[in-house]
Amino acid sequence: MNTWFKSGKPWIWLTAGSVSISLIAVIGLVLMIGWRGLSFFWPAAIHEMSIEQADGSTRTLIGEIYESESVPTSRVSNSGTIMDGYEEEEVTRYLMKIGNREYVPLDFAWVLGPAIRSDETPADLAVIERTKDGNFYGYPVAIEQAGERVAKHGDLRDELFKRVERAVELNEQAMALQEGEIGAINYELTQLNLQRRGLELSGSLTEEAINDIEQRREELQADYLEYEKELFALRDEAGRDSLIMRDMRGEEVKVPMYRVLDVNFPNDMGFFSKLGHFFQQIGKFVSEPPREANTEGGVFPAIFGTVFMVLLMSVIVAPFGVIAAVYLHEYAGKNAVTKLIRIAVINLAGVPSIVYGVFGLGFFVYMVGGSLDQIFYPEALPNPTFGTPGVLWSAVTLAILTLPVVIVATEEGLSRIPPALREGSLSLGATKWETIWRIVLPMASPAIMTGLILAVARAAGEVAPLMLVGVVKSAPMLPVDGNFPYFHLDRKFMHLGFHIYDVGFQSPNVEAARPLVYATSFLLITIIVGLNLTAIGVRNHLREKYRSLEH
Amino acid sequence: MISVNPSTNNLEKLDLHNLPAEQTALDIKNLNLYYGQDQALHDISMRIPNNRVTAFIGPSGCGKSTLLRCINRMNDLVEICRIDGQIDMHGHNIYDKNVDVAALRRRVGMVFQRPNPFPKSIYENVVYGLRLQGVKDKRVLDEAVETSLRGAALWDEVKDRLNASAFSLSGGQQQRVVIARSIAIEPEILLLDEPTSALDPISTLTIEELITELKEKYTVVIVTHNMQQAARVSDQTAFLYMGKLIEYADTDTLFTTPSEKQTEDYITGRYG
Repeated sequence: MNTWFKSGKPWIWLTAGSVSISLIAVIGLVLMIGWRGLSFFWPAAIHEMSIEQADGSTRTLIGEIYESESVPTSRVSNSGTIMDGYEEEEVTRYLMKIGNREYVPLDFAWVLGPAIRSDETPADLAVIERTKDGNFYGYPVAIEQAGERVAKHGDLRDELFKRVERAVELNEQAMALQEGEIGAINYELTQLNLQRRGLELSGSLTEEAINDIEQRREELQADYLEYEKELFALRDEAGRDSLIMRDMRGEEVKVPMYRVLDVNFPNDMGFFSKLGHFFQQIGKFVSEPPREANTEGGVFPAIFGTVFMVLLMSVIVAPFGVIAAVYLHEYAGKNAVTKLIRIAVINLAGVPSIVYGVFGLGFFVYMVGGSLDQIFYPEALPNPTFGTPGVLWSAVTLAILTLPVVIVATEEGLSRIPPALREGSLSLGATKWETIWRIVLPMASPAIMTGLILAVARAAGEVAPLMLVGVVKSAPMLPVDGNFPYFHLDRKFMHLGFHIYDVGFQSPNVEAARPLVYATSFLLITIIVGLNLTAIGVRNHLREKYRSLEH
Repeated sequence: MISVNPSTNNLEKLDLHNLPAEQTALDIKNLNLYYGQDQALHDISMRIPNNRVTAFIGPSGCGKSTLLRCINRMNDLVEICRIDGQIDMHGHNIYDKNVDVAALRRRVGMVFQRPNPFPKSIYENVVYGLRLQGVKDKRVLDEAVETSLRGAALWDEVKDRLNASAFSLSGGQQQRVVIARSIAIEPEILLLDEPTSALDPISTLTIEELITELKEKYTVVIVTHNMQQAARVSDQTAFLYMGKLIEYADTDTLFTTPSEKQTEDYITGRYG
C-alpha cells in the first residue's frame, strides 16, 4: 500500500478522476439542456383519450402528452381520488397539453393511467398554431368564407393549407407595412416634435419654421392615412376566411384564419416530414419575435440583443483594457503604487456583478446619461434619452466588469515578449512607443484575444447587472433598424439570459414556458460557444503569425 | 600562440593613444558605470578609430558588453544604471541632456548575441528602420533591401523568398538578416555583441568574413569571448578585466607582445 502511494499512481487517479467528473458534469448538463430544449421542436403525436371520471361518466381529451411520472398509489388515494380495484404500488400520471385556452379553464390536464379507457392517435387530428391563445387541437370540419362554408371533407386539407398560406402571407405584408413604412413615419413624427421643441428652447422658433414643421407633419399624416388604409385592407383580406374545428367537447368552434400561423397533422407525418417540421420550428424559434408574454414564438430579439451588446462591450473593453495594461506594464514605475493598482484591478474581478449593476445605474445611467440629456437632448426632456437604462449603458457596465480580465491577460502577454525583440527595435532608432506599437502589441495580440475570449464568455452569461441597466422583458424595437442614425444605443434591449429568467420564473403559464427555458438556455450556450470559437480561431491565426522564437 | 589575421597586418598601425580627431569614431572619456551600489565600469578612457574593427575581450562579467551597450545608450533601459563620464561622437557627448536617443541609435546600429529577427517577413525586417523614418516609396525600400542583404552576404540565399517569415531561416541566416536590418539605415558605427556565440562553426565563419567586409563602410566594435575570433577579425583589441580597461593595443601587438601581466595570463589561458 505504501509503495502504491509512493509510486504516484494515486495522484494520477485523483487528477484523472477530477477531470472525468468535470467532463461528465459539463457534457451531462449540455446533453440534458439540449435534449429537453430540442425535443420541444419535434412534432409530438396528438392523442385522443377517453377518460373515466369519478362519477363513472367518460370525458374525451385531445392533446399532446407533455410529461409522465410515477407516483405512489397511496398518495393519489390520500388526495381524494378513489382508486378501487387498482392494486399496483405505483401509478403513472400523464400531463396532457390540451390547448384551446379560451374554451377550457386550464390548457394542461393531469390524467391517471388507470383512468384511460381508450387512447388513439387519429390521422385527422390537427394542431393549429395561433397568434393568440396558444395551440388549438381538434378536427378540421370546414372552411368558412364570408359566412359560407366553402370546403368540406375530401379536398379540405389541401384547401386549408392553401388558405393558411394566403392568410400568413397577408399577415406578413401587414406586419412589414406596420414595422417598415408606418414605423418610419412614427419615428419621423417624433423627430419633428423634438425638432420643434429644440427650436423653441433655443429661441429660434420662427413662424417660418413652424410652418415648415406643420407642413411636413401634414405630409406625414397624409402618408400615414394612405398606409393605414392599405393596412386595414390587408387585415380585412386576411380576415376573410375562418376555420371550423370540432374540439374535444364535440362542439364546432370557429377559428379566425388571420390568427392562424400554421396547421399540422402530426399523426399523419412520416419521419422525414417530421424532421423537416423540426428544423422549420427551430428556424422559426431563432428568427421570430416572441408572442403572448414570451410564452410562445421565437427569441430573435433576445439573440440580437445579446450578440449586439456583447460585441459593443468588446469594442469598448478591448482598447481600454489594452491601454491600461500597456501603461501598467510598460510605463508605470515599478513601485508600491503600481503594485497596489494591479492588486486592486485583480480584485475588481471578484466584486459581485450586481454591484456593477448598481454602479452602472447610479453613475452611467443617472449621472453620465442624465448629463448627456441635459446637454445634447434638452428637447426631449423630461423624457430621458440616455438618462435611462439602455444597451449602451449595459455594454459599458459589462465592459467595466470584464476589464480586469482583459488587463490581466494583456499584461501576461506583454511580459512574455522576449526583451531581445524590444532591444532589437530600439537599436534601430525606434522610440519606446514605436516599439510597443509595431512589435510588442502585435506579438501580444494572441494574449489580448485570450483576454477578450474570457471577457465575452463572462459578459454573455451575465444577467444580474443588466436587469438594472438596460434589459427588458420585451423590447418593441431592436437597437439597430433602418431609421437614421441606424444604431440606437439608447434603446432598451432583450437578452437571452434575462429571457430565460423571465420565461422560467415570471411567466403566467409555467408549463407552456418550461420547454422554452431549455431551448433558450441551449441557444445561449450555443451562442457563447460560437462567439468563443470565433475568437479562438482568430487567436490561433494570430499565434501562428507571431510565433516567436523558442528562446 | 594565436594567429593574427594577416589582412590586419597590412593596415597602417595607429597610435591609439594619440589618435587624431578625424580618425576617431568614438572618444570614451573617464567613463564610470554603476548598477545601484555596484560599480561595473571603472574610469574607462579609449579612442575607437574609424573604419576599423575594434574588439573587446575579457572573461565573463568583465564589463565588455556593458561598455558596448554604453555606446548606443542601451543601458538607459536598465533603471538602476547610472553613468558618469562621457562618450564623444564627432565632438559631441552622446550623454548630453538634449541628445535624441532614437537618433543616436540610428547612427549606432547593434547586433545581439542571439538572432532576434522580428516576427515579420525578411523584407519587413530589413525595412523596419526605414519605415520608422517614414520612408514609403516602394522603389527606395526595394533597393535598400537588396543593398542591405547583399551587404550582409544573404541576398543570394533569400532573394526568391523575401516575403517568407524571418523565422523560417537558419540561425546564421537570421543573424545576417539582423545585420542587414542594422545596415539598412546606414549607421556610422555597428556594435556586435558576441554575434556568433549562438551559431554553428560554418555560420560563424560566414559572419566573420562579413565583419571584415563591413569595416569598409562602417566602424565596427565587436564583443567576443572567443580570443581566436578577436584575433581573426579585429584590427585593435581592448582587454577588460573586472570593469577596468587593462590594455588596448593593435591586435597583433596585444596577442603577441602584451605589455600587461594580466593580459598575458588571459590570452595564454591561465584564467577566464
